[in-house]
Amino acid sequence: MMKFLIQRYNPEVDKAPYMQEYDLDVQPGMMLLDALLAIKEEHPDLGFRRSCQEGVCGSDGMNINGTNGLACITDLKNLKEPVEIRSLPGQPIIRDLIIDQGPFFKQYKAAKPWLITNDPDPEKERLQSPEDRDRLDGLYECILCACCSTSCPSFWWNPDKFMGPAALLQSARFIEDSRDDATEGRLDQLDNAYSLFRCHSIMNCVDVCPKELNPTKAIGTIRKRMLQKGI
Amino acid sequence: MSRKLSGLRAWYVQRLSAAYITFYVLIAVISMLFNGTPTTYKSWATVWSSPLVSTMTLLFFTALLIHAWIGIRDVILDYVHPFGARLVVLSLFAVMLITSGLWVARVLFNAIN
Repeated sequence: MMKFLIQRYNPEVDKAPYMQEYDLDVQPGMMLLDALLAIKEEHPDLGFRRSCQEGVCGSDGMNINGTNGLACITDLKNLKEPVEIRSLPGQPIIRDLIIDQGPFFKQYKAAKPWLITNDPDPEKERLQSPEDRDRLDGLYECILCACCSTSCPSFWWNPDKFMGPAALLQSARFIEDSRDDATEGRLDQLDNAYSLFRCHSIMNCVDVCPKELNPTKAIGTIRKRMLQKGI
Repeated sequence: MSRKLSGLRAWYVQRLSAAYITFYVLIAVISMLFNGTPTTYKSWATVWSSPLVSTMTLLFFTALLIHAWIGIRDVILDYVHPFGARLVVLSLFAVMLITSGLWVARVLFNAIN
């Protein structure tokens, strides 16, 4: 038997989110998502997002015992009881563990996460050297689970103005791309008090990223590019 | 880089001023360790009357005030959101820092004369 405390919230009935207790027979090797699915068998009204179940789609980001992570790749044997599960912090809740990802994706869009080029499209593809391609490692692998941005106090305080680690990682990914022609514009867009400079390098994002990426380092890279451009 | 003390410029000035503050404090501590701490008004005034010391000290307090202003403004941008409250808090700190700056200038220039 394993004890779970899961955040419940139905905006049509509840004034505020509350924690509900569940007991579950668990088997060795079970991931947290398996446990949630088993609980949902008994309580079909429990709401959470999930899809691929193997840490690739980024749907089941949640706050597990106080730390953001993906339920599908969190082994139950590493969790202290009672396992407290909440929705990703600081975000509007739609229901139970499901947050409104609107603010998160609005910032993702602000990063203009696509290649901006001046040349006409080539017949086949835009080539780059293996060295230029290597500069994208550690930047392109993000699965947009929102674990990082929703663990960042700066994103909690200013979600409408501070882009947050996930979107800034995407900014870095396109600033570093040798095929992109909008580097200057991208850097200018970030040079204000809020978009990037609310980051105080506390590295919560690095701590929680399930893909072990380093948004703080990416933000440092952007600052370096800004300095290079400025002097 | 924008002309305002914001974004990259503020970030850079914050780090530059921190580096100078560290440098000044180290030099001050080392020189007091070797030369002893001045104990009378006269010995203090002699120390300040050196152009190198007074210039470095003036620069130190300038760096300190700018560093404090950027730092406190960062905290306020994070936590104080309503326009009115932000204006009041920012103004309070601005007045406090400017007053401190003038006070420091007065002390230093009195010592030099």
